[in-house]
Amino acid sequence: MTNRFNYPTDREAHNAARAKALQALLIEKGVITSSTVDTVLQVFETKMGPFNGAKVVARAWVDPAFKERLITDTTAAVAEVDGLPDVMTGAEGEHMRAVANGPGVHNLIICTLCSCYPWPVLGLPPYWYKDPTFRSRAAREPRAVLKEFGLDIPTSTEVKVWDSSAQIRWFVVPERPDGTDGLGEEELAALVTPESMMGVAVATAA
Amino acid sequence: MKLQHYLGGLEDLGPATFEKRVFVEEWEKGIFGIHTAMMALSPQLPLPATPSTFHTIWTWADLRKGAESLNPFDYFKFRYYEKWLGGISGYFIAHGYITEDELDAKTAEYLADPDKPLPAGGDPAIDQRVEQYLAQGDSPKSDAGPAPVFNKGDTIGVKDVPTIEHTRLPGYLRNHTGVVETVYPGNYGYLCDTGPDGAGPPMPVYCVGFDPQQLWPGNAETNFTIYADLYAVYVTEPDAVPAPVVKAA
Repeated sequence: MTNRFNYPTDREAHNAARAKALQALLIEKGVITSSTVDTVLQVFETKMGPFNGAKVVARAWVDPAFKERLITDTTAAVAEVDGLPDVMTGAEGEHMRAVANGPGVHNLIICTLCSCYPWPVLGLPPYWYKDPTFRSRAAREPRAVLKEFGLDIPTSTEVKVWDSSAQIRWFVVPERPDGTDGLGEEELAALVTPESMMGVAVATAA
Repeated sequence: MKLQHYLGGLEDLGPATFEKRVFVEEWEKGIFGIHTAMMALSPQLPLPATPSTFHTIWTWADLRKGAESLNPFDYFKFRYYEKWLGGISGYFIAHGYITEDELDAKTAEYLADPDKPLPAGGDPAIDQRVEQYLAQGDSPKSDAGPAPVFNKGDTIGVKDVPTIEHTRLPGYLRNHTGVVETVYPGNYGYLCDTGPDGAGPPMPVYCVGFDPQQLWPGNAETNFTIYADLYAVYVTEPDAVPAPVVKAA
């Protein structure tokens, strides 16, 4: 027997030291600067993130014509939303496709080969999305996985699973929750979670 | 055959973990930032030259090749960003930017003193290019290449192309038939030439729907369809594959 699954006791300390060592060497050798990593992280804190997707979904909830365009030409429709940063066709969002949940239809986005994710509208993928167990099981038994995540999809509801295998990046337009008639776009956007835009949750009224 | 290409449908893996964090350890942010900077500074992109000494190609395809070349036990053993750390460190060593001895020695320094500061410096043009890459992206779309041969509603077969080191064809679809849901306008290239696998040059991409009951007979949930975006090179006539033909709904 090998000891393949014996992790060193200082696993994370060693990972942290190695990652920092690599970063230090790359700075010393002029590959990156001392602020490159922070520059990248800053983009995902301020420009690319689920705060954009939430605004897009809220717009779709209040404007049926926009929702129609969002489904038929996603990238162009996202670009017409006011107040979004100038990165909406940037990295991992050059070509996007939105699918809408509705009565009797539930969509789920997965990537069985890696972790493709629409950066401009959703930012970076959370660990559940990158988990090989999720990626394996969601392809064959999506309802069982969703139930583990707290979402019950009855067998009478059609499930559509979209495996992101080429260069198109996918997201879900969840259904507008009941009891939100009086809310404006900003209040509606606050109800849209990253999980609801990947199909492992639904949007609910606060 | 590589397990990493055949994850879809694997059984007996136990519960999935609903971990909503993007990074579960602080150090993971650093390796993510390094990878993104490498993509941005990769010399094939039409972006302004910078004083960065990075001069070799690095794209998602290179990161994926690393993950796909892992021993499959290691693929499950290591957490997502641990795989990145191993693959990216190995790339910088293999391409002569750093040596393994240097990395080991520096790692020992930071193990002994985790708070020791990073070195300072670097030309701001490097970071500007990284921001520009993120904002502009790297569209694979092209007018070049062949026209699509299948239409929406057509039944197609999925080839079982040879795999050397990298593919964008999920294993669970190979030799099965499905129905074209969308023919995307324009053609799409891929980040690298995948050799006998066939992806790389601009070609049509089809979104194809599959019946999970055909993929995993009697062993998949019902009232559900799984779709995948398939490069045209992966797609053929339905009678060219062994599986029973699925008729359009």
